[in-house]
Amino acid sequence: MSIQEKVKITQLPTGVPGLDEIVGGGLPEYSFNIIAGEPGSGKTTLAHQFVFANATPERPALYFTVLGESAIKMLRYQQQYTFFDPAKLPGSIRFINLSQVVLENDLGAVLDQITKEVEKANPAVVVVDSFRTMVRKPQSDMDLQSFIQRLALFLASWQATTFLIGEYAEDELRDNPIFTVADGLIWLRQTAERNSIVRKLQIIKLRGQNSVPGLHTFRITNAGVQAFSRTFGLIGHLKDPPSHRRLSFGIPELDKMLDGGIREGDSVLVAGSSGTGKSVLATQFIAEGIRNGEPGIVAVFEERPQAYAERATSLGLDLETPQKDGKLAILYLRPLDLSVDETMHSILDAVTKIGAKRLVIDSLAGFEMALSPGFRADFRESLYRMIFALTGIGVTILSTVEVDESFTEFPFSTYSISFLTDDIIRLRYVSIEGQLRKIMVVIKMRGGNHAKDIREYEITSKGVVILGKRLANYQGLISGLPVRTDRPDSMEEPAQKPGTKSKS
Amino acid sequence: MTATPEMRDFAHRLLTYEGGVGKASEPMDSPTLRVYEKLHQSLSEFVGVAGFLSLATRALALAKREAPSLGAVRITADGALLGLGELEPQMDIDRERPREYPSSEGGVILITRILGLLRLFLGEALTLSLLRNAWPGEVFDDQSSANGRKA
Repeated sequence: MSIQEKVKITQLPTGVPGLDEIVGGGLPEYSFNIIAGEPGSGKTTLAHQFVFANATPERPALYFTVLGESAIKMLRYQQQYTFFDPAKLPGSIRFINLSQVVLENDLGAVLDQITKEVEKANPAVVVVDSFRTMVRKPQSDMDLQSFIQRLALFLASWQATTFLIGEYAEDELRDNPIFTVADGLIWLRQTAERNSIVRKLQIIKLRGQNSVPGLHTFRITNAGVQAFSRTFGLIGHLKDPPSHRRLSFGIPELDKMLDGGIREGDSVLVAGSSGTGKSVLATQFIAEGIRNGEPGIVAVFEERPQAYAERATSLGLDLETPQKDGKLAILYLRPLDLSVDETMHSILDAVTKIGAKRLVIDSLAGFEMALSPGFRADFRESLYRMIFALTGIGVTILSTVEVDESFTEFPFSTYSISFLTDDIIRLRYVSIEGQLRKIMVVIKMRGGNHAKDIREYEITSKGVVILGKRLANYQGLISGLPVRTDRPDSMEEPAQKPGTKSKS
Repeated sequence: MTATPEMRDFAHRLLTYEGGVGKASEPMDSPTLRVYEKLHQSLSEFVGVAGFLSLATRALALAKREAPSLGAVRITADGALLGLGELEPQMDIDRERPREYPSSEGGVILITRILGLLRLFLGEALTLSLLRNAWPGEVFDDQSSANGRKA
């Protein structure tokens, strides 16, 4: 059979933001699906979103309710969601209660009733909620497997996309025949982790679809279920060709140390202890980008956007105007039960909206604290995915990280994430001549040649200002307790000039 | 808890409509029974027999407080309404004047109470959407315009 002869499977929108991406573009038309999970995990809401997104007067949805939540209470609560359109009832969406037939008859009669209603309505979508309560008591004349088989065959033949909703436990996956018959199996989980609830969904199977494997976080808001793909919705986004452009900090001496600036698409880590000027440096990086026509995003976790902008003003940097002009977005993300995927969703929305080229995450410690405790365990892995995804679409990321000052070691980060970053700039305090002064050094620059100098700097009303030449007349600067030598403090540029290749 | 004037007005509309649509050649149930039966059928499909029974018995209990004349009225296990005959006897409709069959005050109150419960639980928009399945659009015309929606 040639490619042209293959049947085309129409993909239906799920009506759940983010879920289409996870299921590989949409749910296959005429598929027979299970939505499984514990009570309260969002099964009914998800099914409603699909129904409201796909039902039409010509091809309506039949929503069979069985035992359990009454239809009136279900609709009373479900209509609070923004996707709920009462005008669609009953023309496009019909609720049919099967409690009586389930209680008084066997599964054969239940199938007959469903058959009758389907033949009458010619629905595009059929939902049985909850299927579990329907088959809790298998009848003698038709075993469960036969019932499911006939139901699946009938509904597929009538060109209906079907959802059976049920409260299943994961250990039932092996033995329950319904999971064998189903084309799609969406599993919703919610777990309490310390004081937070973490919701995750998994596409355990979906025939004919290239769904994204793994656990994806989701949230239930007044808009219903919203899913956040582990791939951040970036499937199909091609990486821009490698750029050789250098992005300036707006601090000429620092740009020189960085061989002309940060390479576009890099991930930069600015590490230092409290008060060393990490946020100031980050603000200058964003402001310089805006000056150069590169829109930016600042994700802040430790102060509110207004305070962040006001602090920039005190440095002579205007962050108010670019916000009004749509060139800058300052995102405040601090609900304390975030997942990295949700954060990414907010950032990506902003990237798309303003065409951002630079992103500041200030700080990684604040970011970690904003996450639900369950997600903190995966922080490094999540950061890896996030950085990979964002730099993959050409965004240059500057993250700040606070490190504990030590006089016996010189850590780059408390997260062991230096391998995730292309470039590292380390800031620290040193004790010199009875003063606590600040030094800066470029530790690493992947694919570039950076200066090896240790430079003193100050934070002034103009931001970070690098002073004089490299501190050549001190030894042990990175220990924080340097010893003065007789060597003059006026060495010229290092032997290795910018632009030459590093052997390291 | 009292029924809202809007629900009472809407109950009147349904009862008036049903009071004028019987087959001229046949004895006709009272308007209250006809409205009730339509609600019974359409809502039972939606909420199940047990669901409708719960709603109807609650509505009757509320209505009886307001209208003692409903004292003998009861609802059977399958949701049928009995005992209304004393208040609204079955009538033979005059072929020439089929549109004059007023419902009793008790009947109005009972239907108002059922509609009121639906509105309480589902809201006005969804209640009207569900009732549209059982009655023609003309019954809803004023109600719809009152809500700023098209019939």
